[in-house]
Amino acid sequence: MSIFNFFRAAPRASAVQAKERLQIVMAHERAGRSGPDYLPMLQQELLAVIAKYVNIDENKVEVKLDRGGDCSTLEVNIELPAREQAKAAAAAKTAEKSAGNDVGAAKRPAGGAVGNGGAKKRI
Amino acid sequence: MSKIIVMTSGKGGVGKTTSSAAFATGLALRGFKTVVIDFDVGLRNLDLVMGCERRVVFDFINVINGEAKLNQALIKDKRIENLYILPTSQTRDKDALTREGVEKVLNELSKDFDYILCDSPAGIERGALMSLYFADHAIIVTNPEVSSVRDSDRILGVLNSRSRRAEQGLEPVTQQLLLTRYDPERVEKGEMLKVDDVLEILAIPLLGVIPESQAVLRASNVGMPVILDEVSNAGLAYSDAVGRFLGEDIEHRFVTPQKKGLFSRLLRRSA
Repeated sequence: MSIFNFFRAAPRASAVQAKERLQIVMAHERAGRSGPDYLPMLQQELLAVIAKYVNIDENKVEVKLDRGGDCSTLEVNIELPAREQAKAAAAAKTAEKSAGNDVGAAKRPAGGAVGNGGAKKRI
Repeated sequence: MSKIIVMTSGKGGVGKTTSSAAFATGLALRGFKTVVIDFDVGLRNLDLVMGCERRVVFDFINVINGEAKLNQALIKDKRIENLYILPTSQTRDKDALTREGVEKVLNELSKDFDYILCDSPAGIERGALMSLYFADHAIIVTNPEVSSVRDSDRILGVLNSRSRRAEQGLEPVTQQLLLTRYDPERVEKGEMLKVDDVLEILAIPLLGVIPESQAVLRASNVGMPVILDEVSNAGLAYSDAVGRFLGEDIEHRFVTPQKKGLFSRLLRRSA
């Protein structure tokens, strides 16, 4: 060992990094595993319905299922496009105040069927 | 009625076959009539590790296909009373493992044996799925290393969803961790995951810690299950693990660096 090594700060133990990296990656994988596999399909179908009425960006949709102790939350976040700039200014007073807002969030009891609660509109 | 154990890991090369050979031998040494089955169709190696490669005539796949009787394929170990090996085919592939075929052979074996130990191939495909499907107990072989731990977690997920017990809503397959190739000195230097780290991540009970040992390679070289090397740390650790599996309360050894005396330091000799 050279004398210089003595003064150098000890590097962070690699085993500690291994543990942290594993915990992060596995938290993700476990969440994906326990999630029901209808989520991607649900997301697509929801999109298709909404796209019939509103012009939405496919990439700005997020479907998430969180499992809590006694209640699971199905959260659907769809970002509605800002109205075309010209219209937006004129219609600002009368139009629904949905531009740029998130829509959706349906709650359901754990294990129950989706749709037990009505979708709430957060404005 | 016999108990079916699967030795599995997801990842390859972590010591499933070494552990299967050692574990089956350990169970037989304690008086239980035990058979160890190689599920790694096409890549058979259990016969080599058990030292019976020259005695293979018929195999597991022959029995499944009705080309041979079970007792024609079973190889009786020459060293240990009560120990039998069911080798697999080296020429076929995993498609030869049908669920009905495997079930038929396991049912027939369970009339005769106390323990049926299934040595799983790596991966999560057909071979691995068939080896774990009928299991009552799973021993998860893991190295203290990121890819092995992640794959073990994956295989735990498979056990919980795709085993017979899971599918039929029976009591779940019991799961225990066998941590192999553990090097306490590297752990002490912070270069290797600790036993507790792996336990915290996988959250299953610990069956045993097998220290990294030169005895394992020596044993496979000569076709002897390492548990028969009674002076090696690895052999003793396997023996302890078998005892714990059978419900004995045995303290874990070889998890901290062994103090070396001046003499062995000078000679630079390691056990």
